[in-house]
Order: sequence, then C-alpha cells, then structure tokens
Amino acid sequence: MLLYAVIPDNATAPDIPGLAGRRLEIIRAAGVAVIVEECSDRFSTTKHEAGAFAKIVCNLAISTSVLPVRFPTVLATRAAVLAQLQAQEKVWSQRLRDLSGLSEVVIRAQWPEAESDDPSITSGTSYLLSRAAVVQRQKTLVAEIRELICEWAREIKVLRSQQGIRLACLVADTDVPPLKGAILRWQEAADCRQAVVSGPWPPFSFAVDQEAMSP
Amino acid sequence: MSNAMESWSNEQVALVDLIDRVIGGGVVIAGDVVIGVAGVDLVYLGLQLVLAPAHEVEQSVAAGRRPA
Repeated sequence: MLLYAVIPDNATAPDIPGLAGRRLEIIRAAGVAVIVEECSDRFSTTKHEAGAFAKIVCNLAISTSVLPVRFPTVLATRAAVLAQLQAQEKVWSQRLRDLSGLSEVVIRAQWPEAESDDPSITSGTSYLLSRAAVVQRQKTLVAEIRELICEWAREIKVLRSQQGIRLACLVADTDVPPLKGAILRWQEAADCRQAVVSGPWPPFSFAVDQEAMSP
Repeated sequence: MSNAMESWSNEQVALVDLIDRVIGGGVVIAGDVVIGVAGVDLVYLGLQLVLAPAHEVEQSVAAGRRPA
C-alpha cells in the first residue's frame, strides 16, 4: 500500500484517484489515520510520479491537516499500516495539532556573481578562498532573510542549495501573503538581489518535530 | 549574469522545490522493499527504509544521526 499522508482520525477520504488509479482509502487508529492506496510491489518512482504524489497531498491538505509521508513509502499490508499508526499515534496526533493552519513555503535567494567561472581562480588556494567567501556570503544572506521573515516564520530550515540559499519556512496560512510581499520588497530594493518564493504547500519539511526527536 | 533563477520560470522553480521536499521531507515509516532483476523478485527486505537525497544522507552521516 502506498502511503500519502497522516491525517486526524475524524477526517474523510477525498473522492480522488491515487497514483495507481485506485480510490484513496483511510486506515484509522485511535487519534490518527492515514491515507493509502492499494498498489503493486513494483511502483514507478519517476519525477512524474513524485509530482503527481505532491499534487494529491496538496489536494488532501485543502480540507484537513496533514503530515505528508515521504514519497515513496510502501507497506505490504493493512496490518503493517495499522501497526505504524498505533505505534506513532501520540507523536503524530500532537504534530498534527502543532501544524494545524500552517503551511510551508520555500524561499530561494541569491546574489548575482557567477561562482564557478571566476577568472581570478587560478590555483587551489584561490579556489578555497573563493569557496570560503561564498560560504560566508551564504551565511550572511541566511541571517538577512531570517531577520526579514522572523515576524511570520514559526520554524525555518536551511536546505541544501547549489547556488545562493534555500530556506523552508513554516508559516500560518494567513501569513503567506505578507511574507511573500516582504521578500518581493527585499528583492526590489536592490538590483543585485534575486528571490523566488514557492508554495504554500503542506508542511513536507516540518512533518517531523526535530526538537521532539532530539536526545 | 548567469544563474539558474533567471533561466527558470517561477513555476519550474516551484516544481523542483516541491519534488525535492516530497522525497526529502515528510514522515519516514518502516518500509518493505523487493529487489528484483528483469521482473524476477530476488530479495525481500523488511527494514527501516529511509529514502533521502544524497546530500542529506551525507550531512546526517557526518553528524552521526539518521536523515530527517
């Protein structure tokens, strides 16, 4: 069974097909439930399927709080799904309450300098100094964006990025427009700044409470 | 100036970010996997299956913890 998202136990299954074309079902335990779909063992996991999975989870999140399950997670039987629900019921139901009314946005921001084809890089030393400068600029940019959005962001995670920075931010649904507006104004305040805000989505990056998992 | 954000549309950036989060975020659950070749099942594994982007695994290994 392909797992889509953990939801409150009183939520209803939406009448939409899953990736395998079958109807989505709900398996319930005390306190939480999970949206699943019967699927074959050899499940295709291309970029197309990942995108379709994301759209289904986004649709689910319109009507209820969700903890998205990492794609692709497949359990062999209903009993295995139920065992997971029962084992994680307290943790998941608490996280569902924590994330109620919250969404995730991803902010990309960068500076205009080309980083890889700098003609001044002619030796290993100059390359290392260049990389150190890039890391320092990234840290400065992260701090600047954090300061800019701290009014709305409940949690922030720094994601890996090939160029510039990428931040996943947990925000209230009502705070998404002002956060996007602040990023837009930041970008327009100087020609060299570039930023893109993606989302809002279900809280993929915040489904697990990292603080609760820490020893 | 050459950079990815200029050459990609906002929709493309959003799709890339969304797919990255779908496979890099979310709740991680114990999973089952069947390893097969040419349609023949060879090995069945019932294990704690964690699928994560390579860079997150590298960071987690370096920090001595499981990928988030």
